[in-house]
Amino acid sequence: MVNVNNMATHEHDYHPPGLQHQFEDMKQQEESVALGMWAFLVQEIMFFGGLFTAYLVFRSRYPMAFAAGSNHLDAFLGGLNTLVLIVSSLTMALTVYYAQKGKRMMQVWLIILTMLFGTTFLVVKYFEYSDKYHHGLVPVTGLNKRTKAADPNAPKTEGTYVNTRSEFQWHDEKGDKIILEAREKGYLTPHEEIGYFTNGELDNNKVRDKVRIFFWIYFVMTGLHALHMIVGLGIMMWLLWTAWRGAYSADYYSPVEMSGLYWHFVDIVWIFLFPMLYLLGRHFLAGGH
Amino acid sequence: MAEQHNNHDEHHEHEEHIGIPGYLVVFGILVVGTIITYFVSLLDLDGMLFPGANTLVALLIAFFKMTVVVLYFMHVRWQSNLIWLSAVAGFFWMAIMFAYTMQDYLTRSTGVFGQ
Amino acid sequence: MQNVDAVNSDFIEKEPKMNYLTNGFTLKSWLLTKDHKRIAIMYLITVSAFFLIGGLYAATIRLELLTPQSDLLESGTYNKVFTQHGIIMVFLFLIPVIPAILGNFLLPIMIGAKDLALPRINLLSLYIYWIGGALIMYALMQGGVDTGWTFYTPYSTTFSNTYVMATGLGIFINGFSSILTGLNFIVTVHTMRAPGMTWFRLPLFVWANYATSLVMILGTPVVAITVLLLALERIGKVGIFDPAIGGDPILFQHLFWFYSHPAVYIMILPGMGIISELISNFSRKKIFGYEFIAFSSIAIAVFGFLVWGHHMFVSGQSIYAGLVFSFLTMVVAIPSAIKMFNWSATLYKGSISYDTPMLYAIGFMGLFLVGGLTGLFLGSMGLTVHLTDTYFIVAHFHYVMVGGQVLAYLGGLHYWWSKMTGKLYSEFWGKISAMLIFVGFNLTFFPQFILGYQGMPRRYASYAEELQVLNIFSTAGASVLGLGMILPLVYLTHSLIFGKNASSNPWMLPGLEWRVPSPPPTENFESTPIVTWEAYDFSDENGLDLEEARRRHLATIV
Repeated sequence: MVNVNNMATHEHDYHPPGLQHQFEDMKQQEESVALGMWAFLVQEIMFFGGLFTAYLVFRSRYPMAFAAGSNHLDAFLGGLNTLVLIVSSLTMALTVYYAQKGKRMMQVWLIILTMLFGTTFLVVKYFEYSDKYHHGLVPVTGLNKRTKAADPNAPKTEGTYVNTRSEFQWHDEKGDKIILEAREKGYLTPHEEIGYFTNGELDNNKVRDKVRIFFWIYFVMTGLHALHMIVGLGIMMWLLWTAWRGAYSADYYSPVEMSGLYWHFVDIVWIFLFPMLYLLGRHFLAGGH
Repeated sequence: MAEQHNNHDEHHEHEEHIGIPGYLVVFGILVVGTIITYFVSLLDLDGMLFPGANTLVALLIAFFKMTVVVLYFMHVRWQSNLIWLSAVAGFFWMAIMFAYTMQDYLTRSTGVFGQ
Repeated sequence: MQNVDAVNSDFIEKEPKMNYLTNGFTLKSWLLTKDHKRIAIMYLITVSAFFLIGGLYAATIRLELLTPQSDLLESGTYNKVFTQHGIIMVFLFLIPVIPAILGNFLLPIMIGAKDLALPRINLLSLYIYWIGGALIMYALMQGGVDTGWTFYTPYSTTFSNTYVMATGLGIFINGFSSILTGLNFIVTVHTMRAPGMTWFRLPLFVWANYATSLVMILGTPVVAITVLLLALERIGKVGIFDPAIGGDPILFQHLFWFYSHPAVYIMILPGMGIISELISNFSRKKIFGYEFIAFSSIAIAVFGFLVWGHHMFVSGQSIYAGLVFSFLTMVVAIPSAIKMFNWSATLYKGSISYDTPMLYAIGFMGLFLVGGLTGLFLGSMGLTVHLTDTYFIVAHFHYVMVGGQVLAYLGGLHYWWSKMTGKLYSEFWGKISAMLIFVGFNLTFFPQFILGYQGMPRRYASYAEELQVLNIFSTAGASVLGLGMILPLVYLTHSLIFGKNASSNPWMLPGLEWRVPSPPPTENFESTPIVTWEAYDFSDENGLDLEEARRRHLATIV
């Protein structure tokens, strides 16, 4: 071997718990893991970024259809879920805090609480999705509730349309009103002028296609977010197990911290999804137009 | 690595960060932010101020909430420049994607540049 | 190289110590290893296999184009063949080839680390690559896909009834492999450098891989989500990419090229890194303008994200966007030019030895020059209307991808072969194959520039009869090229069994990787090295016997 003379010597006597062989000391390991986690979060941002771009493009094209569709989401449940996630973020931050202190049982309880709130979020999400299923608002044919056409001439009331082919349903007088008012004020985009009207008349089929795009984006975005929540819960399970075994101390807690970063990131995505999806057209309803 | 070994001692200094009261304050800010977002969305800011005002306000609040979460819950405030950089880089790149995609969509059929 | 061996024989230890290859022989010791070197070897085997398959598709394409009629393949089959050639070559070969094989093997050694920062993630990325690759192979055997590697909508969402979903899923999964590799490299370069290994002492190969990793992290997730949207669209038929019901096919192109244009820099930057190594080391001269080459890599990575619209000049994006993208395309040519100038300046008054790796490096410079400059033709908005979707484009990106990345990869593989395997390959056959590849490549692809300019469209099985002469040239060149590619497979494999043992530093070079045994031990270094020298430092103090190096150089000339 050439140049053996300038190799450093260092002792291998003490090996802290959790230090992997490729690192010199804990500090190097923690820095590497933290940077790795942040780099991962950057790729997560870009992953969701593609969807946000799609949202941006379609919302700038069909703002009124998006507003009309958004009014069919439950802003109360969405807001509730935002709060649930914020609480879970708090408990997660406190988990890291107590991990740094090396308090085992506090970590365990806080992780359980975090998981509980995470699960609550998913349960609420389930109710929202099932509501869309019952109202024929799932944009994919076949995933909506099938309703038999008992009497084709029976009057249609909101929420209980006949849907034998399990298609996306859109009949919304308030939504139509929003669009027509915007047209009067000259607010419609050129795409909307072509996209909603046939021979100057509001065309329900055309509007339906645009609203369906909104619901498609809603389902893909919240679905991917929910998937991240489920992954997060999996990480929490593992964290709970290791914390219960007392793996973390003031000297070694970076797994807790890294899981926390992931959890907070998922929270941040929802912080943006909530106003972008749920609160678009609220003022049209509240303002009594 | 050479430069990282120098500040080995200050490693355990910042662990306290903001403590439990601090976390509760941050939590309070986030809750209040959420509630404000909801109620502001009921007002017709588009009509009162300018078109798009509702969206702008909602996004500003969301951005503020995100900043608080990133700085305090995710401890970026106490992290190295490198972590700051990577946190900002993600959003910067997403902004690039938005800007350069929208420069196409917003200049279509405007009558400028021959279209 | 035989001369080197004679000169250098003192350094070969009589009884070699345990190295990474002899540290465990069971299948488990390979499949569950966390050693970056073993992972690199497993990548080498898999990527080479995919390269072979992709090459067979290329051969089929050239055979079909021998005659103007679509007689060997019918049009539908031909569509599948060029699509699969593209998908396999881009996603399974070009993107992982240098980072995952040579980068994986050398990056930790070059910076003086025992391993990558996250070895388990590294192994995970290999498995993800295998799963993604297997899925793509499955789709291919089920009947393949015919959309072109770009999956343009609405054909891919609405009309194509081939295996778009399975292929897309394979690409989706495969993307995470390159994300994790990139993530690992970034972390490793930041935190694992040995004492004294400052940023500006890093070999330029490390800089290039770092820049590549930035692109991988920032770009790849976007194509993942794009392919996911494509797959969901095929299931849901909501029409977000269907203009008939309010969707926008150009959105797909924006999202796709946001990744796939930077991805062409994933496919060239690591190659440029290898060329920087080769040019400097085989000129025995410190590289000219180290900082400029290092920062031009970063500049290419960053500006590479701002030019994706030049793939969409004729697709219906606004003229304004086209102007901006066209301008930025010219801008991104600058850092590439900086590299070319610095390499040329390094050669000036260097003590150049024409070993096999250097032949590849010089070939790279010529071919990349042609590939890069024709890129400017295509980046200018006016001319591109005439050239879009012709063989001009096919020739252009093959000059960059094959003439660039593949030549650089082969050069790097020969250069570090002794380090990776501990064996010396046959220099004679190495030179023969390098020259065959250069000649064969030019014969294959230069006629395609002319064909494209004369208006032969890409992606068709048949063409006008007056274009046949040039197509025959091209096919003939392809067979020379194919022979040149097969040769390394033969003599490199041969060297594994019959090759002479390599010393730790057969090329007499100062880099850190040449200061560890060949092949390196599992932990790379007996103890953490302290770096006291600059990169490409050909002075006397770094412990190299330059007298011997000069003698060797003279021997090569004689």
